[in-house]
Amino acid sequence: MSGGRPSPAALASVALLAALALLPLLIPPFWTANIFGRAFVYGIVAMSLTFLATYGGFVSLAQTMMGGVAGYVAAVLVPDSVPSLVGGVPYAAAIPVALLAATASGLLVGAVAVRTQGIYLLMITLALAVGFHLFAQANIAWFNGYEGIRNVVGPEVFGLPFRNTFVFYYAALGSAALLYALVLYVVRTPFGLVLQGIRDNPRRVSALGYDAALHRIAAFGLAGFIAGCGGLLVTFYNIGISPGSIGLGPTVNVLVMCVIGGLGHPIGAFVGALVFTLFDTFAADIYDRDRFNTLVGAVFLLIVLVSPDGVLGLAKRAVAPLRGRRRVGPAAGAAPNTGAPLAAEE
Amino acid sequence: MAGAEPAALRLEGVGRRFGALAAVGDVSLEVARGERRAVLGPNGAGKTTLFNLVCGDFPPTAGRVVLFGEDITRLKPHHRTRRGVGRTYQNSLLFNGLSVADNLVVAVRGAKPGRFGLRLPAAADRAAARRLAEAVRLSHLLGAEVSSLSHGQRRQLEVGMALACEPRLLMLDEPAAGLSPAERPELVKLLRALPRELTLLVIEHDMDVALPLADVVTVMKDGDVVVEGPPGRIEGDPVVQAIYLGHHGRAH
Ligand SMILES: Nc1ncnc2c1ncn2[C@@H]1O[C@H](COP(=O)(O)OP(=O)(O)OP(=O)(O)O)[C@@H](O)[C@H]1O
Ligand SMILES: [Mg+2]
Repeated sequence: MSGGRPSPAALASVALLAALALLPLLIPPFWTANIFGRAFVYGIVAMSLTFLATYGGFVSLAQTMMGGVAGYVAAVLVPDSVPSLVGGVPYAAAIPVALLAATASGLLVGAVAVRTQGIYLLMITLALAVGFHLFAQANIAWFNGYEGIRNVVGPEVFGLPFRNTFVFYYAALGSAALLYALVLYVVRTPFGLVLQGIRDNPRRVSALGYDAALHRIAAFGLAGFIAGCGGLLVTFYNIGISPGSIGLGPTVNVLVMCVIGGLGHPIGAFVGALVFTLFDTFAADIYDRDRFNTLVGAVFLLIVLVSPDGVLGLAKRAVAPLRGRRRVGPAAGAAPNTGAPLAAEE
Repeated sequence: MAGAEPAALRLEGVGRRFGALAAVGDVSLEVARGERRAVLGPNGAGKTTLFNLVCGDFPPTAGRVVLFGEDITRLKPHHRTRRGVGRTYQNSLLFNGLSVADNLVVAVRGAKPGRFGLRLPAAADRAAARRLAEAVRLSHLLGAEVSSLSHGQRRQLEVGMALACEPRLLMLDEPAAGLSPAERPELVKLLRALPRELTLLVIEHDMDVALPLADVVTVMKDGDVVVEGPPGRIEGDPVVQAIYLGHHGRAH
């Protein structure tokens, strides 16, 4: 096929993946599972939002909820969970069913919110997320109410428990890498290009013969699948799921991760999740636990003020001067060219 | 008239109100297949609104829109596109975050089945995009981000994207607006080269662009059609002169 030469970005991704694969040899198990592993699984949920926001222009607050749907479905189905609500369904079957359910929840959210944009989309998705949280909290028969479902240990891998530091780390890393590659692939397909078209100009997309509404709903479905993968891994990481893990706090945290890392590229979700995890883990040591949210809030504010496009934006600006001023010249020269005739028109 | 081919476009008493304002009053007209129709009129005459009614951005508050014999008054925009309506916009509506090639790929795929394509754009799509870029003289800019194009290049891409839908009825909303004198002949050449069987509706203030192109001219004012006829008659029409002498003085 044509275009066989790997791009620098692709080479960098492979190098990063290789480094991350070797990382557990160099760091203590706590860092392997509870910092990096955890950052990967929450990063997956965050990336489902980055996908929607960066390529579709949809800021959804329902991503934690979609992950929660997968987590709850698996928790209800798998053997050994406490309390056992359905139980007995092996992981090999429960996981696909859970992902299907998460995808369906994404499609549903997409359909409900299909006519809204901006702040209204934010409000509707928030309402759905809070609604699901309250429902799970109130429902005993399916969700075991406030307590949730415990002992969702995850599948055994090569005879090792999922909780094993390395099993968890590589499962998280593998899933994150695959889904990351999936997103980067999808945005180059016609489906992904149309999604970006909807972001830039929905009216034109319709005028070209596309059902923009259907496209939007499909994008939410894919985001539901991604969030579901993350939600499942989060559930295995926490060895269970409860309403608290899909409440307002975790819902907003996903948005915070995306913004800290930087919307603009899916990698930002993982950067943000890592920064967030570091703070969440160590802030308590250096600062009063009760004021953790104040600290995170302050860091969040600082990043947004200093760099509205997050850590990614910071990195880009730091690297730009090293790449020389060549790029800046033509770009700055082009601006008046496009601006002048437009200004003359009106 | 049994057996006669239906007109490309027929508007029957079409009107559109925005609150108290009748942007389009009561317009009836018929555009034959393969006809090239220029729509003239001063600012605010309702020309763009008329296009919006044909392409389905909003429904008319009165009347019917009939495309090749089919009533499309209540159809959504994308269904009208699939039936052969293509258009450009007065203010370019492009995908600024995508390259010229990807803009055209999106446009090309819109006319085809498999709109949810999850495989990378086929070589055929890329080739079609290249051909279109060539047709609108943007071949050298295929890889460029749309946000970096000049105004004239954006207008060319507008036409290219509308053509990509393989329309049977192409509506161009002021394709020459804002173009420099140097860019104008380029665009006229481009429009002249359009296939003859394509039915064309062009809104254009510039008489030098519109009149040589048109078979029939429709002049609108205050939401209504005031004159309709061949270009030769329109130029000398006292009503048109009254409208356009004033207009030309202002615009250029
Ligand atoms: N969506 C809308 N809502 C309210 N008023 C509108 C809308 N679209 C158009 N109008 C009004 O309808 C009238 C006709 O506008 P239209 O854009 O159709 O004129 P036009 O003939 O295309 O003028 P121009 O030459 O300036 O492009 C104007 O008074 C305009 O303000
Ligand atoms: Mg107009």
